[in-house]
Amino acid sequence: MSSVWTGEGPRRRRSSDKFRVGVVIGALLLLEFYLRPSLIEGRGMPDFLMLALLLLAIRQRPGTAAVIGFAVGLMVDVLTPARFGAGILAHVLVGWGAAWGRSVFFADNLLVTAGVFFIGTWARNLLVLLFSGTSPGRLLTELLIWSPLQGLTTAAVGVVIVMLFRDWLAIRMDQ
Amino acid sequence: MRDQGGGETARSDLVLFAACILLALLALALPRPWAESLTNAIRRTALRPMVAAQSRAVADRTAREGLRAIEHTRDSLALLVQAFGATRRENDNLRALLDLRPRLTQPYLPAEILHQPAVTDDRMALLNVGAADGVHQFDPVVTGAGLVGYVWSTSPHSSAAYTWTHPEFRAAAVTANGSVTGLVSASPSTDASRTVLQLRGVALRDSLAVGTPVFTSGLGGVFPRGIPIGRVSAIERDQFGYERVYRITPYSHPALATHVLVLTTPRDSLFLPLPPSDSARKADSLRKVAGQRMLDSLRKATDSLKPKDSIP
Repeated sequence: MSSVWTGEGPRRRRSSDKFRVGVVIGALLLLEFYLRPSLIEGRGMPDFLMLALLLLAIRQRPGTAAVIGFAVGLMVDVLTPARFGAGILAHVLVGWGAAWGRSVFFADNLLVTAGVFFIGTWARNLLVLLFSGTSPGRLLTELLIWSPLQGLTTAAVGVVIVMLFRDWLAIRMDQ
Repeated sequence: MRDQGGGETARSDLVLFAACILLALLALALPRPWAESLTNAIRRTALRPMVAAQSRAVADRTAREGLRAIEHTRDSLALLVQAFGATRRENDNLRALLDLRPRLTQPYLPAEILHQPAVTDDRMALLNVGAADGVHQFDPVVTGAGLVGYVWSTSPHSSAAYTWTHPEFRAAAVTANGSVTGLVSASPSTDASRTVLQLRGVALRDSLAVGTPVFTSGLGGVFPRGIPIGRVSAIERDQFGYERVYRITPYSHPALATHVLVLTTPRDSLFLPLPPSDSARKADSLRKVAGQRMLDSLRKATDSLKPKDSIP
């Protein structure tokens, strides 16, 4: 049976692994800050920062994932400061939840990983909206229409990235 | 199920998690000026390459996709400017004759909204112009269609603007004929289909018809008078019955806007003329008709006073 390497266990992390993961995260940052805005714009577009957080979180221990979530949340809050701190809190919770859930519950399956991306994005949006104060009508629209759409697009891009960089990310899937 | 490691590592995970949560809660409780200083500092240092890259990406996309539209707009404006030149000269001459000061110009900075895939993106817009370009706090942000918001904080090369969808956004508003004033804010309506504005503070004796355009009134010193906000689309009920509340469909939505203008005019000296209302237009046309009739009758009278052709 294959498994997902989460940073624990017998395998020693090599510097080349870190480099490869760094390359993938760098590519996601490039997608987020250059390719996406130069190609598409609109609601429901994939969130590459969220994807980077989830890809890192499922490889890390929950504590480390929470710290990564803090950094990503800070970045989001600085760029869209609707309510400073809301993004940080949401990303910390989602990062920690993804790492913890991955180490306890989730199977090593492409569909399940896609589900993690989808639920992670949706849950992050829910938490940000709740912490930043949103009217019930707007909350409903966001959670039923726009967040699922963004979750789907993010999950689709995430699956492509996992399939492309499976070895680099040390994610092994059941065939 | 995976082995979660020893108790030591689990404890360190919990400590890290608790520390992150504590810091996040502290960030949430941070006073707004402090949070603003912190975000500005991070934006102009650590995140500056990201903001610059996104700004470049938006400019590239505009150059690639919006070129045809820009050409059309430029051609239309060229025609307009040609026609406007004569009117402007005439207006300047009339102002000089009446000893009026020159008409105030409205300096502005073109800017682009750097949209983020965040769920609160339309509440706060990140602009690619900043204090180094001449942007100041509370500068109004508009599109060609209407009001978008105002600048809340600036860093040297970027700024953050509150848009009208932000729960704390307010703007003093007036109707085209200047008779009804109120305060515009994002509607907390449970209508999930779209985000709209509401006009509050309208006296019970005043009523507005659906379709009435609403503009900024210039009160409060943030927005100059005359920026189009939207149209009255429905009448809402004030739960206390102290005022009239109207739903306003805005002309411009921040989530859809990419290119905006930041008005950098000193706000206390700007007064844009409101477009004439329908009734004013009617009165104007009536005056013109009456004037024409008077001219015709005068012409007839002078014709009748002229000496008849002499009989040879």
